[in-house]
Amino acid sequence: MPDYDVIVIGAGNGGLTASASLAKRGAKVLLLERHNLPGGCATSFIRGRFEFEVALHQLSGLGTPEQPGPLRGLLGQLAVLDKIEFTEEDTLYRTMVPGEFEVTLKADRTEIIAALKEKFPDEADAIDKFFDLVWEFCMQMVSIFFMRDPEASREKYPIYCKYAIKSSKEVLDDYFKSPFLKLAIASYWGYVGLPPSRLTFMDMAMLLWAYTEFKPFHIKGGSQALSNAILDTFIKAGGYPRFNCGAKKIIISDGKVKGVITETGEEITCDYVVSNASTISTYMEMLDEKYVPDDKLKMLGSRSVGPSGFTIYCGLDCEPQDLGIDVSTQFISLNTDIERQFASWRTFDRPEMCGMSCYDVADPDFSPAGACQVAVINLQFADHWLTIPPSQYADVKYRYAQALLDIVEKVYPGFGDALEEVDVSSPITHLRYLGHPGGGFYGFEKFAKDSNLFIPPTSGIDGLYFAGAWAGMAGFQPTLESGVSAAKAIYRKMNK
Amino acid sequence: MTKQDIRQQIEGYAEIQAEIEVLRKYAHDRRADRGTVDRVINLLHPKELKLTVSEIIEETASSKTFRLISADGYLPPFQAGQYINIFVNLAGIRSSRPYSIASSPSQTAYYDVTVRRVEDGFVSNYLLDEVTIGNSLTSTSPAGLFYYNPLFHGNNLVFLAGGSGITPFMSMIREVTDRGLDRNITLIYGSRDPDDMIFKDELEDRAQRHGNFTFIPVISEPPPSYSGHTGFITAELMQKLLDDVKDRMFYVCGPEEMYTFCLPELDKLGMPKKRVRQEVFGPPKDITMEAGWPSEVKKDDTFEVQIRGGKTIPARADEPLMISLERAGITIPTSCRSGECSLCRTKLLSGEVFQPRGVKVRKSDRQFGYIHACMAYPLKDLEIML
Ligand SMILES: Cc1cc2nc3c(=O)[nH]c(=O)nc-3n(C[C@H](O)[C@H](O)[C@H](O)COP(=O)(O)OP(=O)(O)OC[C@H]3O[C@@H](n4cnc5c(N)ncnc54)[C@H](O)[C@@H]3O)c2cc1C
Ligand SMILES: Cc1cc2nc3c(=O)[nH]c(=O)nc-3n(C[C@H](O)[C@H](O)[C@H](O)COP(=O)(O)OP(=O)(O)OC[C@H]3O[C@@H](n4cnc5c(N)ncnc54)[C@H](O)[C@@H]3O)c2cc1C
Ligand code: FES
Repeated sequence: MPDYDVIVIGAGNGGLTASASLAKRGAKVLLLERHNLPGGCATSFIRGRFEFEVALHQLSGLGTPEQPGPLRGLLGQLAVLDKIEFTEEDTLYRTMVPGEFEVTLKADRTEIIAALKEKFPDEADAIDKFFDLVWEFCMQMVSIFFMRDPEASREKYPIYCKYAIKSSKEVLDDYFKSPFLKLAIASYWGYVGLPPSRLTFMDMAMLLWAYTEFKPFHIKGGSQALSNAILDTFIKAGGYPRFNCGAKKIIISDGKVKGVITETGEEITCDYVVSNASTISTYMEMLDEKYVPDDKLKMLGSRSVGPSGFTIYCGLDCEPQDLGIDVSTQFISLNTDIERQFASWRTFDRPEMCGMSCYDVADPDFSPAGACQVAVINLQFADHWLTIPPSQYADVKYRYAQALLDIVEKVYPGFGDALEEVDVSSPITHLRYLGHPGGGFYGFEKFAKDSNLFIPPTSGIDGLYFAGAWAGMAGFQPTLESGVSAAKAIYRKMNK
Repeated sequence: MTKQDIRQQIEGYAEIQAEIEVLRKYAHDRRADRGTVDRVINLLHPKELKLTVSEIIEETASSKTFRLISADGYLPPFQAGQYINIFVNLAGIRSSRPYSIASSPSQTAYYDVTVRRVEDGFVSNYLLDEVTIGNSLTSTSPAGLFYYNPLFHGNNLVFLAGGSGITPFMSMIREVTDRGLDRNITLIYGSRDPDDMIFKDELEDRAQRHGNFTFIPVISEPPPSYSGHTGFITAELMQKLLDDVKDRMFYVCGPEEMYTFCLPELDKLGMPKKRVRQEVFGPPKDITMEAGWPSEVKKDDTFEVQIRGGKTIPARADEPLMISLERAGITIPTSCRSGECSLCRTKLLSGEVFQPRGVKVRKSDRQFGYIHACMAYPLKDLEIML
């Protein structure tokens, strides 16, 4: 008898839902996490009187109780819905080019269209047509993949087949003239980490559609509350979590998973492993080279590590309205050239855009009375960060942060004076806390070739499964779902 | 038809397949990157530092500086004001105490820590009386949040120090004066006795040589002939010493009493929260005197703590749970020992603990029963999960 049925490596979103689903179905599960608490990205930390949300800007896929999204069902099954509370945002975002342009899009298709038409009356027709396209595309995608239409074909789903992997830029250019209009519609590009020229239409359309239909949400107590709640389900179902205990090696024998060796050298046996660590470190560090299938080595080498990010966590000693902040999520760009903004993620050059989330707009209790919390973020790849000598790291970090704060100050004068607590995370910070190459919290880059249309979901090793952003789509909803899928696959196999 | 089929009918599918073939043919060999993640982490935040005492400097009758060099070649950078948590094995117990690095971060050939004797103290007396040149020590890497942040601290800093609380300031003062940084510092340093002021000579010397650094000792029990400022660091005194307090950032570090006295004085000056930074100071001398302590629990009450899957140990009400664990031979991760860093986060399965105000437990951690063992005092028998 092995010590455990399943060992789950990593307590990020994917690792947590995998562990909890398996334990709830009666499997004997050990969850190993190198950090001292659950969540991975989905965590928080305290500075002064603020508890800073690390990652969650907008939760997708939850939906309302009346119109539930896929995530609501999943969290219900994991018995976490009644343990935590969510706050709905009524707005998708505000897009701004300071001094030139500004539009706010509510989380409602009719209102989005009205707001855009008001700004761009010349393009009213195109706006209608574009949103028809997006909604029709997403409905077709839902029928094919979520309803699993057994008779799916190109004839039946022409829009899907025509547009799925087209570049978003091509479609936006086809429909629209104004660069401001294109910027406003493509504003979620940072959530995938690719500019419109590289972003598939499928990804852009799904983001717009899903956040509109299922609304963006925040979590009371932040994403740490979600992580704690899932872990609670796991513990109550008899699962055993171990923190401060990384996995070092996965033991293989006779071509099958046999167990895990921890960073302290302890050998623990099991039949299945779910890795929520990056696929790169799982194959390259945890498995003996002789067990890594050649095609996996090629797959890893043919893909590029996605962006990490740079966030300034700001605790302000005023209410959002004192500064005029009246929407939760904003994208501020100094120009409309997204391609150029994307290129700047590889340099320390002055940033030209930032995202800004104020958590107290939708949830006035998020911070103490008279105070509020804002996260200012721009994505960054890690490569240039890895070239800085350690002794200069702090200086570089502050310089880059100041440049981002200068952008915010343009829109909200007085922001800098209201700062009471500030901390900054860089790609190096994410690398340290997640153990992922390049601190990549989206996993690999998400070009068309990286979508699950092309990447087989299996590990190539009997008994080894993956959950999380490196093995599928990134973001809260997809990674939470990925863990449940891994659990189902294992459960099916255990009961054969 | 199957799903697979529709995928292949997507416009552009074949082109992407071809692209994938080419990329795989010329794939980067990821074996070349092995170990990169750990290497990057270890340059900034190694898990543990192996240290050797290279010099010991007598500072005052009650304090010494230990100059620590790396036993295996590398000390990571830190920000002036951060501390290391030094581990000791003493009387069969493995414990630790945080000490601020007093040397400047402009070099990391060594870290200086300056230790002042604490009466009946477990670790300070050991370091002062037993540790000699050449001895080995281990510690965490530098950590802590008491450091200058250029994004919002401004350029006019006022340091309020008491006793051994001078150490983080010493690092900051050394950095600013040695590197010629554009920051003005006023140090108001409270001490009982002018002769027991750690770093007094060096501070006077630096103040003389650098126009942007002002040193003001304040003596609470002055000898008869003493001519400087006397008494405590009051609002009145600060008002007199600093012409304009409004644009200043105040930093406070010292013994427990210093906070109880100085923070209300800063309130009187009208300083908002965002203009006051304070260092943590570890467990209070007498936890039963804290606001909110339940009077029915007495100092020497002892409870049983059952560790799930492990042994059951005794724990005194007036000692942090972490110390009871250490006494029983159980060490859990720790860095600040002050409730701030959350490394010692522990799940409380049943029972009740007292955590003084200011212990930084996340909201949802409170909801789901997590405690910071370094600042959690048992009020009942407990069951915990490590
Ligand atoms: C700043 C930021 C903003 C974001 N904003 C959003 C947003 O608004 N909306 C959204 O949907 N998504 C957002 N994301 C993305 C989202 O948070 C992530 O994609 C998702 O949380 C990744 O989950 P995961 O399951 O891949 O695990 P991760 O969070 O990557 O966690 C992996 C876990 O595995 C552990 N681990 C690694 N190696 C080992 C080992 N050897 N042994 C043991 N444990 C190990 C790590 O310590 C970690 O806990 C954001 C992320 C960040 C960082
Ligand atoms: C961030 C930080 C930085 C610091 N930097 C420095 C520094 O640079 N220099 C420096 O000298 N110190 C510093 N300290 C303090 C240092 O960490 C130790 O607390 C100090 O040296 C006393 O440790 P000790 O083991 O000698 O005393 P302890 O044994 O911890 O005793 C401290 C006090 O508590 C009492 N006590 C001990 N055991 C108990 C008990 N079981 N129940 C009730 N009371 C008890 C003792 O009588 C004594 O009065 C710092 C502390 C922090 C948190
Ligand atoms: S050791 Fe830092 S919170 Fe306990």
